Amino acid sequence: MDFNPIAPTTMHVDINSCFATIEQQANPLLRGVPMAVAAYVKDYGCILAASYEAKKLGVKTGMRVREGKMLAPHLVVLPPDPPKYRIVNRQLLGVLQSYTAHISVESIDEMVMNLANTPALEKLSMVNIAREIKNRIRLEIGEWITVSCGIAPNRYLAKIASGLIKPDGLVTITKDNILDTFAGMQLTDFCGIKEGNSRRLRAAGIMTPLAFYRASAIELKRAFHSVMGYHWWLRLHGYEDGGMYKEFEKDTEEDQKSFGQSYVLGTPRATNDSRLWQILTQLVMKMGRRLRADGFAAYGVGISTGFADHTHWHTQEKKLSPLFTDADFYTAMRTMLTHAPEKPVKLLAVYCYALHRDTSQQASLFPEENRKRDLTRAMDAIQNRFGDFVIHSGRMVNMEQKVLDRISFGGVQGLPDIPFQETVEHESVS
Amino acid sequence: MPETINEPVSVTLWSNHKTRKVLPYGLYWHGRQYHITTIGLHHTVWEGRRLFHIFSVSDGSTFFKLVMDSETLGWTLVEVETIH
Repeated sequence: MDFNPIAPTTMHVDINSCFATIEQQANPLLRGVPMAVAAYVKDYGCILAASYEAKKLGVKTGMRVREGKMLAPHLVVLPPDPPKYRIVNRQLLGVLQSYTAHISVESIDEMVMNLANTPALEKLSMVNIAREIKNRIRLEIGEWITVSCGIAPNRYLAKIASGLIKPDGLVTITKDNILDTFAGMQLTDFCGIKEGNSRRLRAAGIMTPLAFYRASAIELKRAFHSVMGYHWWLRLHGYEDGGMYKEFEKDTEEDQKSFGQSYVLGTPRATNDSRLWQILTQLVMKMGRRLRADGFAAYGVGISTGFADHTHWHTQEKKLSPLFTDADFYTAMRTMLTHAPEKPVKLLAVYCYALHRDTSQQASLFPEENRKRDLTRAMDAIQNRFGDFVIHSGRMVNMEQKVLDRISFGGVQGLPDIPFQETVEHESVS
Repeated sequence: MPETINEPVSVTLWSNHKTRKVLPYGLYWHGRQYHITTIGLHHTVWEGRRLFHIFSVSDGSTFFKLVMDSETLGWTLVEVETIH
């Protein structure tokens, strides 16, 4: 069996330098200027996205702000503004949904569409659909926002194609150009091939992407010591490896397996520092509200910490009865935190799992439990009406560090659905 | 970096019933009128049940971040940044 001979119908759409581009879209004065969005604007802040002007000067995602400013002394650094990025994500989804219902939102800036058997593909070719999408993004979302589109017979190669030309790229991978495409790449350019897998391939004598492509499925199974080798063979030859159809299906609420929140502290705190407990309180409140809003309680709770010395600690436990109130989550996690190593905490993460559909409308035998639940529901209702944290635990009084709204990597859960909109013409106000 | 202002301001609106768009057109602040020429981005934020419309706009040389409270219909100038 050779490369998948079908005409490509999968398109990967990636917003170029997403956060930075959206900030430049919002503020025209930043266009053409080296700028970056960082978790914190101070020197130690981690750069989350750099504009193309900054990238040309060597500024990269993951650098500290200090390093970025050494490369680009006039670098403008902004903190993240998640509501802006979410609205652009929803607007982009709205544009793409007018072509197909089969869309997988991979992250805040990446979406994959399957256009097979769609009326859109009856009228236009894949390349022309991509061009039309790019044009509509400029007109309907913002003239500074560009996307790179990758077209291929499967999701994996479509993602690779979208990364080949940036910004504003449009690349198609087919059986006719797969060899030329791979000839210009390194093994580590492949998503999923980093140190470990690269070492496995080298040990099997596979040193280049072309050798990787030409290896048989049996050779790859031997190289990876598992069926993963066969999945890699499928991906590289334009076939789906089994995950595609599942991921194109919309997540149902029953698919939700856990809820979690995390926070990176600007100043590391000891595990017995009350300021760390204040952060814990906020994380628990955010997690608890999301859990209850989706109608769940949870049997399992977990907490993990990253320390200033780059070590980590993690623990979780299951309770006999499901937890529902913030007070119960806080008590459980605070107790767990006492078992953590006594080192300054840099990252604090909480989560709950083993979800249980909340049946708390049924009164408990214990009046105190009913009162706690009623109080929690009342607090949730107040926050839903007047905003986050308008009512909170006394522990949070005089907080120095606030848990900010952040975009999680690789996930866009909790974004609002898009109402159906008629296409509107773009209008200039001048 | 933009300068934080957080002052109530007067704004004239452009409303088009065909495109169903409402856009800030003029801004009156500290006795001056600014003619907005570019709408960079319009997004919304909920604080509880209160919806705020946030307009990132420019008059060509100054960037303004304007917020309209949909409950009071009042406008606030949140940030200003000028080309150096």
